[in-house]
Amino acid sequence: MAGREDDEHDPPILDDKTEAEAKSSERDMAPPGPGTSIHRSGSRPQLDLSKAEIQGNFEERDPTILLPNQSDDISHLALDIGGSLIKLLYFSRHEDYSNDDDKGKKTIKERLGLTNGKLRSYPVLGGRLHFVKFETHKINECLDFIHSKQLHRRDPYPWSSKTLPLGTGVIKVTGGGAYKFADLFKERLGVSIEKEDEMHCLVSGANFLLKAIRHEAYTHMEGEKEFVQIEPNDLYPYLLVNVGSGVSIIKVDGEGKFERVSGTNVGGGTYWGLGRLLTKCKSFDELLELSQKGDNSTIDMLVGDIYGGMDYSKIGLSASTIASSFGKAISENKELEDYRPQDISLSLLRMISYNIGQISYLNALRFGLKRIFFGGFFIRGHAYTMDTISFAVHFWSKGDMQAMFLRHEGFLGAMGAFMSYEKHGLDDLMSHQLVERFPMGAPYTGGNIHGPPLGDLNEKISWMEKFVRRGTEITAPVPMTPSKTTGLGGFDVPSSRGSALRSDASALNVGVLHLVPTLEVFPLLADPKMYEPNTIDLSDQGEREYWLKVLSEHLPDLVDTAVASEGGTEDAKRRGDAFARAFSAHLARLMEEPAAYGKLGLANLLELREECLREFQFVDAYRSIKQRENEASLAVLPDLLEELDSMSEEARLLTLIEGVLAANIFDWGSRACVDLYHKGTIIEIYRMSRNKMQRPWRVDDFDAFKERMLGSGGKQPHRHKRALLFVDNSGADVILGMLPLAREFLRRGTEVVLVANSLPALNDVTAMELPDIVAGAAKHCDILRRAAEMGGLLVDAMVNPGDWSKNDSTSAPLMVVENGCGSPCIDLRQVSSELAAAAKDADLVVLEGMGRALHTNFNAQFKCEALKLAMVKNQRLAEKLINGNIYDSVCRYEPPSLSQM
Amino acid sequence: MDPKNSRFSTQISHLALDIGGTLIKLVYFSPNGDNCEDGSIVVGNGCSVVQGRLCFAKFETRKIDDCLDFIRFNILQHSGVQHTNGTARDKLSVKATGGGAFKFADLFKEKLGIVFDKEDEMHSLVCGVNFLLKTVPREAFTYLDGQKEFVQIDHNDLYPYLLVNIGSGVSMIKVDGDGKYERISGTSLGGGTFLGLGKLLTKCKSFDELLELSHQGNNRVIDMLVGDIYGGTDYSKIGLSSTAIASSFGKAISDGKELEDYQPEDVARSLLRMISNNIGQIAYLNALRFGLKRIFFGGFFIRGLEYTMDTISVAVHFWSRGEAKAMFLRHEGFLGALGAFTSYKDQSHSTELKPHHHTVERAVLKCSDDDSFRHIPVTANVNDGEAIECSINLV
Repeated sequence: MAGREDDEHDPPILDDKTEAEAKSSERDMAPPGPGTSIHRSGSRPQLDLSKAEIQGNFEERDPTILLPNQSDDISHLALDIGGSLIKLLYFSRHEDYSNDDDKGKKTIKERLGLTNGKLRSYPVLGGRLHFVKFETHKINECLDFIHSKQLHRRDPYPWSSKTLPLGTGVIKVTGGGAYKFADLFKERLGVSIEKEDEMHCLVSGANFLLKAIRHEAYTHMEGEKEFVQIEPNDLYPYLLVNVGSGVSIIKVDGEGKFERVSGTNVGGGTYWGLGRLLTKCKSFDELLELSQKGDNSTIDMLVGDIYGGMDYSKIGLSASTIASSFGKAISENKELEDYRPQDISLSLLRMISYNIGQISYLNALRFGLKRIFFGGFFIRGHAYTMDTISFAVHFWSKGDMQAMFLRHEGFLGAMGAFMSYEKHGLDDLMSHQLVERFPMGAPYTGGNIHGPPLGDLNEKISWMEKFVRRGTEITAPVPMTPSKTTGLGGFDVPSSRGSALRSDASALNVGVLHLVPTLEVFPLLADPKMYEPNTIDLSDQGEREYWLKVLSEHLPDLVDTAVASEGGTEDAKRRGDAFARAFSAHLARLMEEPAAYGKLGLANLLELREECLREFQFVDAYRSIKQRENEASLAVLPDLLEELDSMSEEARLLTLIEGVLAANIFDWGSRACVDLYHKGTIIEIYRMSRNKMQRPWRVDDFDAFKERMLGSGGKQPHRHKRALLFVDNSGADVILGMLPLAREFLRRGTEVVLVANSLPALNDVTAMELPDIVAGAAKHCDILRRAAEMGGLLVDAMVNPGDWSKNDSTSAPLMVVENGCGSPCIDLRQVSSELAAAAKDADLVVLEGMGRALHTNFNAQFKCEALKLAMVKNQRLAEKLINGNIYDSVCRYEPPSLSQM
Repeated sequence: MDPKNSRFSTQISHLALDIGGTLIKLVYFSPNGDNCEDGSIVVGNGCSVVQGRLCFAKFETRKIDDCLDFIRFNILQHSGVQHTNGTARDKLSVKATGGGAFKFADLFKEKLGIVFDKEDEMHSLVCGVNFLLKTVPREAFTYLDGQKEFVQIDHNDLYPYLLVNIGSGVSMIKVDGDGKYERISGTSLGGGTFLGLGKLLTKCKSFDELLELSHQGNNRVIDMLVGDIYGGTDYSKIGLSSTAIASSFGKAISDGKELEDYQPEDVARSLLRMISNNIGQIAYLNALRFGLKRIFFGGFFIRGLEYTMDTISVAVHFWSRGEAKAMFLRHEGFLGALGAFTSYKDQSHSTELKPHHHTVERAVLKCSDDDSFRHIPVTANVNDGEAIECSINLV
């Protein structure tokens, strides 16, 4: 960003966008689909009018025109300008997965009753919400940032792509600085500020975040954070306590229904003001930091001091209860200088936090509210403050009420200001349509970081290169000095593990919120509210440390593979190195603060790794491996099919299930399996593995499944109407394992939908790759060919997709849908709309592989029958989950769950 | 009963102490005419009735030696029960309350030969208030906009009420009747906080000095007002006037000023408002919780200081929208000591302590503002509590 400092003198001119455009398109790297190239052109952005269509109701006057291929970020922004921090929130328009031009898939959508029109009718606009903080006294950084991204030039309505003429833009701003800096904004950016009521913004921001983000709230007791899931329908009423300079206590009864019921003038300003006078600290953070090392008993008068070390137990006061804050400063002949600033800071902090907790409790009591949310700059994710407030609420309410905190607490006002745009497009957003991602820079944009996030990839890489490697763990990133060329601010980065209650360690990271309107809750979940995807609870310290270690150990292999996948170029090596550092930093951060990224399951952790790879533009690290294995497997498939066809129905079914389990050994995500690869060819390993499948397996419901499939006592069971097969790895796993099973269903007249990842993750097969694989297999098998033709997978076949129903009743189509995610695991609360549509007629779900059947969904209950198949390729998981050993097999068959019926 | 003996012991033993973290409060009975042989004792029906005054004195706890001297020279010596070495001849049992009754028990025994008969602090407090409200007319008053107004309280309509005792810390007690009470809340922001923080911030040496300072200060210099945030306009939407304090000491954040750059007067004023306001608010919220209309504030922090009372009253008035009233007691500093004093009657069956027993027989004759402690050679803060003329029964 050379020459940025010139902006202060020159009015923004259009040519400036060249750079900004190049930058913004890079930093928000949407994973490209096949055939779509990343827009990196340095030329001035032009509207791409192809495929323009009317959005929404056609009868509507002046309907909005959607430009799906418009690559530019369409953004709007809102600000909360406080006394010390500026919080900026902006929206960038993104089409996450734009694979609509795939002809084969279009046919499937038609087959599944999804028309394009329907796809376009989502009330929520796809895109991303970015959260950024700046220090108020460095407001120029904020202005530079807005200017560089041209955020102020956007029409405030997100679905408009108009670039506004200079001097006409309006930005919604809340906070005390809205008036103060209005002229500056006009002068520098040519935009007017529209001031929004602070409290209103605060409340609507909190309402939105609490409803849209599943685990937004958490409790904080004795240093432990626990995320709380709040049902959107059961949110109101609650008490919102905003601790800024002063404290506002607001009772919230619903959307736009709130009242300031109380407050106190003893707030963050009091802490910082008194603290500054008493300790000569230069900053709020410094004062907080001091309190960590303090001992308030040197200055507070405790109950024990009055009662000679005894409790006043009659009224429930322990000796260590503070009887009088600063009360000891009375009776000793000490001057201010004789007290340690640390002790003073802690005394102050406890005094003010307790007081806030108490007054909040009394007000909650008054209105019979059980939930109190605390936010505002005084909280700042500071562990001690939260603990003290929680303690006070717990103490006074005798455990009846809960003090809760919000992950996005600093951004409530900005969020609300954003919501105050007439059409912000977030009204109908549901939590399942939101995916939070933590791009690089996010580890450092937690509660106490100011300055814009890292811009383009290059900047990210050089930032990562500044990390100091210490052992395997990245611990001491070098704070960037404000550089002349970038104008980006310094990042306060956690520099050491330090003590348990470090002020910045507990500041939670805030990621980018991806709004994906096409995501839906998987309709076959028995009870979506009770559904928890993760089988392993990473809030358990032992589990967490184990899995963090596993990921850390696997990292060098992954980097090698990723670099090799791009030909091992210098560029790839550099990116690979940066990726390794970035991901290690994430892991280190998690070791330090397990709650840093919100409620985290193993699934999220694995997805974080994939996201991190994508961020450094490793689009598909296992591409060549997958290709090689697919070819090798396809080559031996005819032999296998022949073998299967020679068997009796009963023997074949067993062999098929054995085959799925055996083929599941081909997994690059498993260390144990990677080692195996060096010992034989695919078909050798497959056969050896299958032959070892001695029943009973560790979990063995095969007989029940067989009875369901083949019947017993001469009774013919009804066949399944549609089976959803969630596939796992490429190569042998899908081709020698799942495809033959699919073929068996098809042969019985059951429709089969292969469900695969939307984006690559490890060597998992993707929905994009499946049609080619099926086509390859179809060359050797009529059943597969016919089904694939009917399912529209063989696009060059001259078959009318509408004809399929006229075929005889035993032929059924084979289809492929993407699941909407790019992780080795699957969270069934957030799946693609296609999958949701495909699920409507399904009466059998087959989950295959560790990621989807064990790590996640092992305990998931479905409205329909479910078959969970996996080989356990991790000793610890085998012990934990099935009380077994590595390479044990799981075949779990479950009839429909009755809980919802 | 030997009336002479009774009289001597009366003079000594009718003493009760409340030893707090910051101050020691003394209540003792001083017979009228003191050294006169005649007049003050009325003997009748096996009881002697002594006319006299309840006198009040207070000392800083850290200067406990002054207190010991005072008791030694003005009470023990005066009553002639003292050895030449300054201790009492016999072990004297004296009612004492407050945390210091435990902490300093050995000291009093060693130096004065006094054994503390410890009374529960809160119990004493409540007894003291009940006694005052029932027996002393014109004890309670409201203070609003500089107007002190005495409140006549119907004895039958006294309960329930909220008692807020502001000592070093603050206790909030719901009183439902004689001996029926419960500590329902409290806060650590009390008088100790005012003095402690005040000392650190202003280098004041004493509570009085600090109060004096606060009187001359202007809190707007250092407090962030609503108007400071909203550019001089009210945030009327939520009922906050521009002069309301948004954040105590909030201006100290941004002024770039050091402690030395602020006037101690202004700092003291801000501090006083912060603490008074907070106590008023928490008291109101607790009164609301139990539907109590009357809140009595007592404890040494109040000290009859108008500004303090005004702030507390305003806070209660503001938050309750005029529904609840803050009331103050003229003897607010001596509630605990008075309660301990009145508790002598509870042990009237105990024979060992027989000479010490007394009951307050009837209402105080009158309250006098005159200084009845001229004879006291040792410095003590005795001006705060007005002596109560009364008579007591000697059992």
